Amino acid sequence: MPPRTVSGKHMKVRADAVSERPDVADVVARFGDAIRSIETDAAGEPVVNVDPERSFEVLEYLRDSQGYDMLKDITGLDLGGGHPLQVVYQLWSTRDSAPLRLKAALPHDNPKLESAFGLWRASDWLEREAYDMYGVIFEGHPDLRRILMPENYEEGYPLRKDFPLRGRFSRAEQTRLALSREMEDLYSLDELAVSGRSGSRRAEPDEGLETQNMILNIGPQHPATHGVLRLVCELDGETIVKCTPHIGYLHTGFEKLSEYRTWNQVIPLTDRMDYLAPMLYNIGYALGVEELLGIEITPRCKVIRVICSELNRVLSHLIWVGTTAIDIGAMTPFLYTFEERERIYNLHEAYAGARMTTSVSRVGGMMADVPPGWLDSVRDFVETFPNTLDETERLLTQNAIWVGRTQGVGAIGAEDALNVGACGPNLRASGVAYDVRKDKPYLDYETYDFDVPIGDHGDVYDRYLVRMEEMRQSLRILEQALDRVPDGPINVDDPRVILPPKSQVMGSIDGMISHFKLVMEGLKVPAGEVWSSIESSKGELGFYLVADGGPKPVRCRFRGPSFMNMSTLPCLVEGELIADLIAVNASIDIVLGEIDR
Amino acid sequence: MSKGSESAGSGARSQVETEIPRNWFIAKLDDLVVNWARRGSLWPMPFGTACCAIEMMAAAASKYDMARYGMERMGYTPRQADVMIVAGRVSYKMAPVMRRIWDQMPQPKWCISMGACASTGGVFDTYTLMQGIDTVVPVDVYVPGCPPRPEGLLYALLMIQEKIKGESVIDPRSREEDPERVGKPHLTPEEIEHIAEPFGNSTFQNRVSGLESSSPIHRPGDRKE
Repeated sequence: MPPRTVSGKHMKVRADAVSERPDVADVVARFGDAIRSIETDAAGEPVVNVDPERSFEVLEYLRDSQGYDMLKDITGLDLGGGHPLQVVYQLWSTRDSAPLRLKAALPHDNPKLESAFGLWRASDWLEREAYDMYGVIFEGHPDLRRILMPENYEEGYPLRKDFPLRGRFSRAEQTRLALSREMEDLYSLDELAVSGRSGSRRAEPDEGLETQNMILNIGPQHPATHGVLRLVCELDGETIVKCTPHIGYLHTGFEKLSEYRTWNQVIPLTDRMDYLAPMLYNIGYALGVEELLGIEITPRCKVIRVICSELNRVLSHLIWVGTTAIDIGAMTPFLYTFEERERIYNLHEAYAGARMTTSVSRVGGMMADVPPGWLDSVRDFVETFPNTLDETERLLTQNAIWVGRTQGVGAIGAEDALNVGACGPNLRASGVAYDVRKDKPYLDYETYDFDVPIGDHGDVYDRYLVRMEEMRQSLRILEQALDRVPDGPINVDDPRVILPPKSQVMGSIDGMISHFKLVMEGLKVPAGEVWSSIESSKGELGFYLVADGGPKPVRCRFRGPSFMNMSTLPCLVEGELIADLIAVNASIDIVLGEIDR
Repeated sequence: MSKGSESAGSGARSQVETEIPRNWFIAKLDDLVVNWARRGSLWPMPFGTACCAIEMMAAAASKYDMARYGMERMGYTPRQADVMIVAGRVSYKMAPVMRRIWDQMPQPKWCISMGACASTGGVFDTYTLMQGIDTVVPVDVYVPGCPPRPEGLLYALLMIQEKIKGESVIDPRSREEDPERVGKPHLTPEEIEHIAEPFGNSTFQNRVSGLESSSPIHRPGDRKE
């Protein structure tokens, strides 16, 4: 199958965009010829194309003088067909609640750009991923290695358009190469020397005694890493001097595979990324494509989507409480929370037919209307679930062991948390009241009455409290949503997007034509791009979608909150005890399917 | 089984064949007792990677409780485990880790491939994912599903128990291992190419698991030796 390419310009250039936003106008006035053009995307947000030579200056100015203190995403973009490689920065100003996207175009051979590591530590892993997938070299990055693919991967840069979906080498050769890698090399001390930011491995001689730091490897197959994560820790006694997470053991190639699937075929892929809260991913992706299409979904669909979202937030927080408690030594909450998870799984099964891989949304609506009696079952769950929540809280909140193991452990302040890229409940536990449902509402979240819980200390205990309170707030939203489910169709009445009902397909020529076109050609999305995000249970889940007018995406970028949260782990654990590493790692709520994608 | 392992095992086999008639009764008694004990206390080694791992956790949690069948102890160390449950997709980066864990497990050992991705690569025919773990380790039971329900995993464990019933303790044929194959792929390059062809990788499961018959297996009793 040939790789997808784009011809011509894929966005409208609008001159009036400059006058609309004072901060953009200011940047243009200040940097003049460094700004090559200004465009608007499908959602009407400004996209600033900058000279790659001066991108760092522009970023620094935006952060320091315009209040763009949150770096949400750095990713590459290859449109193919002779277009230059692009690096995309997605910024957010917590001061003005405004997004801004920066793009720098680079040549395919030897693309180089100044690293933003000095501005945001959050750019560390994002730049490594762009290097891994597109080969963009970020000058000044302290540790630019491959992150998802093996470090000695020879086949090239997977997300470039000239890279085949199934890899350059044959399957037999890929298997041979994978197994010929010497395990001892991968686990040796030398590896740490190249990955190191913290310099010397040998500690200072103390009173004539020469001591040496110890290297401890945890994972990739370890019950406390919540998946296939590998942590290499350098220990001075029991204190962690340095912690290096190694990820990519579950890298599946979702973003590459999405470019070879039609827009609706991507939905089954999305719930395999975050299998702890699959419906949130389904719905977030569908919202992104709908924003590209510029269609408004029906009022009933909005409310049903809110119900599904909040159910899945509870589902994900429940497994978080259960597994974190197991990691710290309490078995009972795991059994309690899994009992409740089974009830939510039953609701999933009644609606979607699957317990976990729901694939419940479609572009323009849902896979079907909810079955009769389903909303009553949800109401029954909402009414009885607080009992279990109370029981679990009674087991943990005042528990001396729990308090002792979590309070003051892995603490991070608000400013640092923003800078290193923490998001979701972790960021809110540090005291930053950033919740996409409040700051950039979608699905009419502004009409629901709910609070955003905020912590003071940013430690493991606060993250626990924030999540417990979020479950209660989700129940509040669920109650309000259940009271207002309107009647009417669940899917938009648009034959370009949604299959017509069977009676029309069989009975009318129009219905038959639109059915044929949708099935044979697929859903056509007009050329454009959008960066849309929702509040997933783990933080801000962003979708950067680029379309060229064809039936398949040109680029599907999934900015997973777990990826950002995972990259904060070294900042949280360095200086802590090794036993606390397990508690801190559990507390940031990761799902490896989303980190590795 | 490749040719190399068969020639290595043939010497031991002829020796066993001469001894079997003399100790036939004791051997049968051993089979009965040892297999009964092995069957009743399988220690799984949960090699969970993705979505299927969550269903594996559900199978161990309150509602399904696989401890009922003797799988009480989830052994997170391969040295003290005898069933490796590979639950989820396995990437090429993870392949040497999985092979090493398999090599570290003591005999007798069995392997369950849980879910579509572990068995065939599933929907992910991409540059990074192994097209079935059976290219790297021998698999005893495949569990279909994406992900399989906890009942599916429980049934797979029961199938392993059925398989143990038919094994002979003193006959090493079913458990033979070639030390030269440690850390190497389970299949030859030609076989890997063959089963990794697009859409062809779901139809050759019996052959890959070393069975003579190519007919589908419906129940444990249908399994031909």
